[in-house]
Amino acid sequence: MSKTKLFSLILALSLIVMSAVGVSAQDPVSLRFTVWVGPGAAMDMLNGIAADYTEANPNVTVSFDTLTFSEYTSQLVLQLAGSNPPDGGWILENTAPQFVESGVITDLTPTLMAYPDYNFDDLEEAALGLWRDGDALYGLPFSTSPFLIIYNTDAFEAAGLEDPNALAARGEWTWEALATAAKAITDSTDLYGFENADGTVYAEGFWSTIFPIARAYGGGAWDAEGTCLMNSPETVSAVQLYHDMVFADGSAVPPGEAATFAGGQAAMRIGQISRVAQLDGATFGWDIAPMPSGPAGSGSVIGQAALAVFRNSPNADVALDFLAFMTNATNSETMSQFFPPARASVLSSDTFLNSNTRLSAEQMQLVVDGIASGTVLPSSPNYSQINLQTRALFDELWIPVADIQGVMNTACETIAPLLAN
Amino acid sequence: MLHLTNSQRETIWGYLFIAPQTIGFILLIVLPLITIFVFSTEERNLLTGVVVPVGFENFRTIFQEDILFRKVLLNTLTLTLGLVPLNIGLALFLASLLSQKLRGITIFRVLFFSPVVTSAVAWAIVWRFMLQGEQGTVNQVLQLIGVEGPNWLRRPEWAMLSVIVTLVIKNVGLNTIILLSALTNLPSEYREAAHVDGATRWQVFRKITLPLLAPTLLFVTVITVIGSLKVFDHIMLMTAGGPSNSTMVLVYYIYYQAFQFFETGYASALAVILFVIALVLTLGQWLLRGRAYDD
Repeated sequence: MSKTKLFSLILALSLIVMSAVGVSAQDPVSLRFTVWVGPGAAMDMLNGIAADYTEANPNVTVSFDTLTFSEYTSQLVLQLAGSNPPDGGWILENTAPQFVESGVITDLTPTLMAYPDYNFDDLEEAALGLWRDGDALYGLPFSTSPFLIIYNTDAFEAAGLEDPNALAARGEWTWEALATAAKAITDSTDLYGFENADGTVYAEGFWSTIFPIARAYGGGAWDAEGTCLMNSPETVSAVQLYHDMVFADGSAVPPGEAATFAGGQAAMRIGQISRVAQLDGATFGWDIAPMPSGPAGSGSVIGQAALAVFRNSPNADVALDFLAFMTNATNSETMSQFFPPARASVLSSDTFLNSNTRLSAEQMQLVVDGIASGTVLPSSPNYSQINLQTRALFDELWIPVADIQGVMNTACETIAPLLAN
Repeated sequence: MLHLTNSQRETIWGYLFIAPQTIGFILLIVLPLITIFVFSTEERNLLTGVVVPVGFENFRTIFQEDILFRKVLLNTLTLTLGLVPLNIGLALFLASLLSQKLRGITIFRVLFFSPVVTSAVAWAIVWRFMLQGEQGTVNQVLQLIGVEGPNWLRRPEWAMLSVIVTLVIKNVGLNTIILLSALTNLPSEYREAAHVDGATRWQVFRKITLPLLAPTLLFVTVITVIGSLKVFDHIMLMTAGGPSNSTMVLVYYIYYQAFQFFETGYASALAVILFVIALVLTLGQWLLRGRAYDD
């Protein structure tokens, strides 16, 4: 072959390769991520991040698809089984083991490790535990949000009570102190003293309210080895405390009632900082306090949600790249006003403390402290089955005279095979 | 050129006319039904996508191991046995009242029919509020007459009754209208003759009106029974199957298995059982129909 011919061949080949690369880089890609946040400030923020990504990668557009929170997992799974699955989405902590084991989500480590300036080691390893399987990481917890007590300052004043933060500063903000305050408010105002987490304790959200109390008393739901802790004396005392608030004191919103904190009918609630947005336009003053402690110390609990990329996505590589972009240090900082990230550098920054327009730096410090001492809510690969079977049993707790120890014993017996799997 | 007789041509046109409906029926009803039967013999997981053929294993598990299934079946039976007589009895009573030729009776007819056209979701949500423990409208009204009502939707012994009554008030209007139109179309001669012969109102109703209404009553019973087997929205919105699974009926259990546990194979097997129950009940009532017409 003459030199000229060889040269033209190489030129032609490289042109073909270059054009092929050029085409693939500019192929329009539209990504769809499922989330449970509806229209509003948080959604605007997500769309802003998506717009920034499109600016850097003009061929990619990202949309966020809202699914209702209460039906989120079932709707997501239906979409994944269909012919047009989303490319990625949020996953809630209690279904984490189910998704990690199912093999429908992709390992993120290769992408995140290789992503420029991602600084993987900045992620708090403790916060990743739920999403790991060996060295693989299947979900990136973009929100590691501690539970807090949001309280109505007017109601506390009206009842002549000391401020919960003042009690907390002295180490006297315990669940018993909360119960006493709730009763005082119920007795002296026309408000309930306490609303459980999102009004779900009598239905699917039993643990969101009971777990923080149980933890403060040294109990829990079950441990990592699959041992049931529900019938331990500690957990039973925690349930007893809440039961007394409902039936003996009448200070907690009882089953079947629709009184809410945001509606001004209850003086305290368990909530995360994302719930504070519901209080825009509230006709009463409010503040946040840490979760009360108990005989076993802090009752701090974290609600977690992670971002994942689905294996069936036709654009998994692009979706992974977007996930890395969305959770890099800069964007984590942007998201932190609604969703505290698991990034040490962001949590310790002044930007984070001043990120939420509705909360002061002092109040945001409670979030940082809560993350440091918090445990995640119980989860299991069999969470849905456990939830169905125990929910039916827990219904027996919500009557004036309940055999709490008996119900919790039955619950442990019932779910033992599910925990063993 | 094909030479067709008139009747052949008519047959072809007939088939052409029913073709759209038949194709739709096959695509949307028959094929999914067959699919359900196939799924019921498989272990399927919606989340993982794993599919393993297991023969009749799902049915064996349902009948031999699933403790909840027995309760679910009993609940479904309770709902049907509670709802059907109450609904039809009340519908018959209301239809007799509304068939009177009185001034302004139309207002009452509209009033009783209005819940039927109300959205089931709105209906269930409003009733959930009205049936609250202390602050619910129902208990506050009861309190006025000195009765302390229970926490209707949160007590296992009251929840099913509450759902049944809510459903009856919602749907009784439809049966009332059907029975009313049958009542107004009854030939009046028999009743007049009976009156002339000295029969009391009750005797006329029992011996003349009721037998004449039998075909309509049977039709109303069939649709009410099938409707009662399919109740889902009220259960989902008012009790979510609780408390203590006391309102967990078959349809809701199917939903739970399929969309909460993602066990679509097992859910399909349950759906096959529901299909068989509905089929047997309908066939039974169909056979009775012959007798109703003979009478």
